[in-house]
Amino acid sequence: MRELKNENSLADTPAGNANEINELLRRYGVKFGIYKNGVFNEQFFPFDPIPRVISAEHFAVIEKGLIQRVTALNMFLYDIYHEKRIIKDNIIPEDFIYMSSGYLPQCEGIMPPKNIYSHISGIDLVQGKDGKWYILEDNLRIPSGASYPLIARELTRVASPKIFSDNPIADNRNYASLLKDTLDFSNCGGINAILTPGRCNAAYFEHSYLAELTESVLVQNHELFVENNILYHKTYSGEKNKVGTLYRRISDEYLDPLTFIPQSLIGIPNIMEAYRCGNIAIINAIGNGVADDKGIYYFVPKMIKYYLNEEPMLSNAPTYLPFYEKDKKYILDHIDKLVIKDVSESGGYGVTFGKELSKEKLQEFKSVITNEPRRFIAQEIIDFLELPIMDGEKAVMRKADLRAFVLSGESTRVWSSGLTRFSRNPDSFVVNSSQGGGFKDTWVLSQ
Amino acid sequence: MGVISVEHSDRIFWLGRYTERVFTTLKNLEKQYDSMIDDDPMIYMEFLQNFGLDDIYGNMQNFVSSFLFDQNNLHSVAYSLEKAYDNGIVLRENISSKALSFLQLAKDTLNKAFNSQKGLLFSLLPLEDSLFAFWGCINEYIYDDEIITLLMCGKYVERLDLYFRLKYDIKYIKLEFERLCDYLKKVPENTPYRYNAKYLNDLSEIIDIKEKYTDRLNDAVKSLGNLFLK
Repeated sequence: MRELKNENSLADTPAGNANEINELLRRYGVKFGIYKNGVFNEQFFPFDPIPRVISAEHFAVIEKGLIQRVTALNMFLYDIYHEKRIIKDNIIPEDFIYMSSGYLPQCEGIMPPKNIYSHISGIDLVQGKDGKWYILEDNLRIPSGASYPLIARELTRVASPKIFSDNPIADNRNYASLLKDTLDFSNCGGINAILTPGRCNAAYFEHSYLAELTESVLVQNHELFVENNILYHKTYSGEKNKVGTLYRRISDEYLDPLTFIPQSLIGIPNIMEAYRCGNIAIINAIGNGVADDKGIYYFVPKMIKYYLNEEPMLSNAPTYLPFYEKDKKYILDHIDKLVIKDVSESGGYGVTFGKELSKEKLQEFKSVITNEPRRFIAQEIIDFLELPIMDGEKAVMRKADLRAFVLSGESTRVWSSGLTRFSRNPDSFVVNSSQGGGFKDTWVLSQ
Repeated sequence: MGVISVEHSDRIFWLGRYTERVFTTLKNLEKQYDSMIDDDPMIYMEFLQNFGLDDIYGNMQNFVSSFLFDQNNLHSVAYSLEKAYDNGIVLRENISSKALSFLQLAKDTLNKAFNSQKGLLFSLLPLEDSLFAFWGCINEYIYDDEIITLLMCGKYVERLDLYFRLKYDIKYIKLEFERLCDYLKKVPENTPYRYNAKYLNDLSEIIDIKEKYTDRLNDAVKSLGNLFLK
C-alpha cells in the first residue's frame, strides 16, 4: 500500500537523487564482502532509491504478529534447553529437535541472562499479491542487514529532505538506541563489545558501524580472554576490562574451540564456561539454531498456540514436511508446483523449484526426498508482490522480501523499518545479497 | 584509561603516520611539479637522493606520476593513502564514520586526478581539502584523548621523519619536535607507545645543534625510529 503524497516532483524524491545517494553511500564505505572462487572481494551494496512503503495500518499488524512470534520462539528456546514440555506434549516430534544441526546439547540447562535467547531476531516476510504478509524464515542466530537501511535513511535525508518533511515517514534512526538498550539490559556488568571475525567478513561494515553507533568496543577474539570464568578485554596497557555483553557476529560452532570446533581460529577458549556461570550475556544466545531451523519453522504456529494460547497473527507460507507420510505423498505428487528447501542450507542456497527440473532430475530428487525426509521442507510458491526498482533510467518490477528486526530486552520491540532485499534478475525469487541482490530502505508511515 | 587494545593502538598510530605521509609527500610533489614549470626539470633527482632512491623514472613527468598514482611504488601517495584507509576502515568506531568518509573521498579524488584532463595541481587541490577535513573530524568527533594522542604521535613522528630526510629548515624541525613532545608526554606509562627516554634525549640533543642537525641525520632518523618502548 503506497500512501505517499503525490505532489513531490521527481527532483524531491530519492529516485530523482539516486546518483547523489549512491555517491554518499560509497563515500561512507557501505560495502559487503563476498568470497567467490576462494577470493575475497569487497563491493558496494547495490542500493535502489525507490523505497518500499508500508502503511501504518499494515505495519501495526506486522508488529503485533512479530512480537507474538518472537515471544513464542524465545519461550520455545527456553523450553527446549530445560523442561522440553513441547516434546513431551507431542506438539513437536523429538526428531525435529535432536536431529537439527542447530540443537546444541552443550546448552542444556543453561539460563541466559534475563532469560532472553533471541535478542535480535531477523524475520523474513513477503507480501502476497493479495496484500497478505507471510513469514518466510526466522533468523535467530546472527541476523544481519539493519545497518544498511539505517545509513541509507541518514544519507537519503541529506539528498532528498523535502519528501521527509512532506510525508509522515517514521524515523528509523533509533535502531542504534534500540540495540544499545538491548545490549545494556542483558549486560552482566562490564563493557558492551561486538565480536567480529575481522575485515574479511561479509558484514564487516555492519559490525563496525553498529559498534560506532552503540559506543561498543569492536573486538576480535585475540583481544579477549577468559579468566576465572569471566570474559575480559585486554587493553594496550595490559589492563583487563570485564565484558558484560558480547554481541558476537560469529557462528556458535566457532565460538569456543574447547566446546565446539577445536580448529576454530576465531573463537575464545572457555567462553562457554563464562556463559554457563552467568557472567556474560552472549547476544544472540548460543544454541538458537534449533529454533530457526527450516524444519522447525513448520511448527512455529503450533508453538504460538501452545505457549501463548493465541492464534498466530501472521501466517507461514503453506509448508509440507516429507517427514509426515501424508505431506510426503502431497509433495511427491505436486513437486512441480512446489519449492523445496534443504533445511541445512541458508543464504538462498539449497533452494530448488520443482518446475525448473527436468523429468530425470525430478525423479532423482524425489528419491532423495524419500530417502532423507528430515532434510527437506516443501512450500507452495507464493506469488509475492513485485516492487519497482531503478534499472538505469527506467523502473522495472522485481521480487522483493522484507527482513524485519525485532529486539528483545526489557520489552520486545519491532524496528519501524527493515531491510528490503530484491532480486536483480527478473526471473528470480532469490533476493540474497550473496547472490547478487540489492537493497532498499523500508519506509513505515507513522499515520 | 580507555579500551584500546594493542592491535588498535598500532592501527591508530599508523593511521596517523600514513595520513601524514600522504600529506607531506603531496606537498613536496606539488612543489617539485611547480618548479618544473619554469625551472630545472631534473630537480626531482634531489628528492630521490634524500630517500636513497635510484632514478628509474627518466624524467619529471614519470617521477611525479609514479610518486602520485602508482600503487606499487611504496613511496607513492596512492600507496600511503591505501594504507591509511586500510588502518582507518578497522577503526570506524574509534575515529567516526565521518572521518573515515574523508579518507574514501581522498582516494576517490586521487583516482579522479589520475584521469583528469585539467591541470594536475588543480585536480589535486580537493585531495588536500579532504585531508584537512579528516584531521578536522579527528578534532571534532573524537572525545577519547588517548586515541587523539596516539594519532598525533603517529602524525608528528612521520612528519619529523620526512622533514629530516628532506632536510627542512631547523626552525620547522624544532617546531614539529615540540609538537611531538607535547603528545608524547600524554601517552600513558606501560603502553607500547610510551617514549623511550634515551632516544628522546638523543633526538633533543641532535636538534639543539641548530643548523648542523643534518650532519647527524642518520642518528636523528635512528633515534626517531627507536622512540617507543615497543
